[in-house]
Amino acid sequence: MESSTMKITLDSGRVAALFLLVFALLFAWSGSRIEYAFASDPLGPRAFPLLLAGALAVFSIWLFFRPGESEAWPRGRILWKGLGIPLCVALAALLLMPIGFFAVTFLLVTVIAWIFDAGLRRALISGVLQAALWQLVFVHLLGVYLPSGSLWGGLLP
Amino acid sequence: VSFDYLLDGFVVALSWQNLLVGLLGCFFGTIIGALPAIGPINGIALLLPIAYTIGLPAESTIILLSSVYMGSEYGGRISSILLNVPGDAGAVMTALDGNPMARQGRAGEALAISGISSFAGGMLGVVGLAFFAHLLSLLAIGFGPAEYFVLMVFSFATLASMVGKETVKTLIGCTIGLMLSTVGLDPTSGAYRFTFNEPELGSGIEFVMLVIGLFSISEAILLLEQHSAGATIIRQMGRSLPRMADLVLSAGATLRGSLIGFFMGVLPGTGASVASSIAYTTEKRLSDRHGTFGKGDVRGLASPEAANNAAATGSFVPMLTLGVPGSGTTAVMLGALMLYNIQPGPQMLTEQPLLVGGLIAALFIANILLLVLNLPMVGMFARLLTLPNWILVPGILVLSVVGVYSTNASVLALLMMVGIGIVGWILRKLAFDMAPILLGFVLGHLMEVNLRNALAISGGELGIFFHSPISLVLWVLALVIALAPYLVSRWVRKQA
Repeated sequence: MESSTMKITLDSGRVAALFLLVFALLFAWSGSRIEYAFASDPLGPRAFPLLLAGALAVFSIWLFFRPGESEAWPRGRILWKGLGIPLCVALAALLLMPIGFFAVTFLLVTVIAWIFDAGLRRALISGVLQAALWQLVFVHLLGVYLPSGSLWGGLLP
Repeated sequence: VSFDYLLDGFVVALSWQNLLVGLLGCFFGTIIGALPAIGPINGIALLLPIAYTIGLPAESTIILLSSVYMGSEYGGRISSILLNVPGDAGAVMTALDGNPMARQGRAGEALAISGISSFAGGMLGVVGLAFFAHLLSLLAIGFGPAEYFVLMVFSFATLASMVGKETVKTLIGCTIGLMLSTVGLDPTSGAYRFTFNEPELGSGIEFVMLVIGLFSISEAILLLEQHSAGATIIRQMGRSLPRMADLVLSAGATLRGSLIGFFMGVLPGTGASVASSIAYTTEKRLSDRHGTFGKGDVRGLASPEAANNAAATGSFVPMLTLGVPGSGTTAVMLGALMLYNIQPGPQMLTEQPLLVGGLIAALFIANILLLVLNLPMVGMFARLLTLPNWILVPGILVLSVVGVYSTNASVLALLMMVGIGIVGWILRKLAFDMAPILLGFVLGHLMEVNLRNALAISGGELGIFFHSPISLVLWVLALVIALAPYLVSRWVRKQA
């Protein structure tokens, strides 16, 4: 699996520098259009963001000419699994209201454990145990408010 | 101001609730430090929202978080020594001599010596903290908006010069953090900035969401990449009591490490990781006459361990007296105070004497608790090192979701956390440090407000930033620190 990573050093730093430059320009454009009725100080709300955008633009040009070191990017299976993690958390966020904290924890823990090569059986057991543990700790012991799931219509505790 | 607040602080810290909270913090902190996956910022970011939502008072939350910080500086050494994988950033240098000692069958001794030097560093740090907090708070009375703005410039100068290998990346990180801090309602003009008509952005980017996204979500992806690279744990402990000769030999290194660590900690932005690496290289230059450093020399183990604990404590000095965080972790704590509507700044000691005193007392107590936890019970923490990622990472992610949801009660905040996490992962792959972003974000609001207030006072005259002696001294210090790495490297080349 180690062989599926490739060394890209110079290029990714330069690409990042260009992205940062575009971001600085967009930030400046958006900052120059901030609307306000009054300002009690000589600078007003636009100056500081514009100053920062200018600084970022200068630094990103600096970075473009001196991109420095960066780590190798993952490829193939590792890349897909790596991107699967934030995707799973995003799905968990979207499912939180409808199916509730307990079910979301079970799904999230099981899938992430599976991504980390636990094997299906261990992933499922871990999912059940962690869902029960976190439900106990947060909902019952600490009294944190977490959604119990609108789909179940109050059938579950 | 007298030292009375310290006595009152001990009354606060010794209440049964705060003792319990402190003990829990030390325990979890050691675990967080020992686990290679998570460091103090992660641990604190995950615990802060929980402490806040279950209604812990501000003093107790700060005691909990600072005990975790201290604990993780103790715990980090365990995996450095036994696994040769640093448990957190402050323990990178500990592996250089700690792991060779362990491979020679002296793991128990290495753990004991580093535990004792951690204790010495931590305790020296607490004494220094009590002393300097007092001294700086007297100085802080002279700070107006102009001085405060120059102080921020000074902080960023130290950050750029000390943190990370590439200055430009640290500067970009600071700028991104500052930019993020401008999002939301501008209180002086009533203008909405960069909110894109999204009501949830009106009050700005939420701190817990930003920290957890930057640190925990990106860490989970990084862990998957490192997943295949295995490390071997050393199980043979050997004798667990240090030899007297080793303790005597390492005493000087411990003392020097503590002093270097404390002063590095006091500088804004430079925390335990910078401190321990400077302490180690200094000690090597001073004491390594027979080429034993890197091969299991107790001095090479004691120095960085004393330094990282002293630095962690030292980084509270600027946070408590000036409202400028001394490290990434204290930046999170500053955010914690803001969550409780406590504005850190020069008036902290006079306005919140119980909080400051309670914190210093709690750090004193935490060091004693940690010595007890880390000498006889170290075997138990060592066993946790074998905890597989497939149990740990899902747990971190569940805590992330709970933390962000419980402080925001919003699904959008969770999705933004994920987005920030992906950006954080990309930046970390490009060798950007996350701490400057955090410091920029925490300081941004104060920096802008003081810049604008100073110019409002002077009527737009820039000279106000150079009027007072405090400002001038800070400008000179900023210049010296910014040029220091360049001058030092020239000097070293001339010597060679």
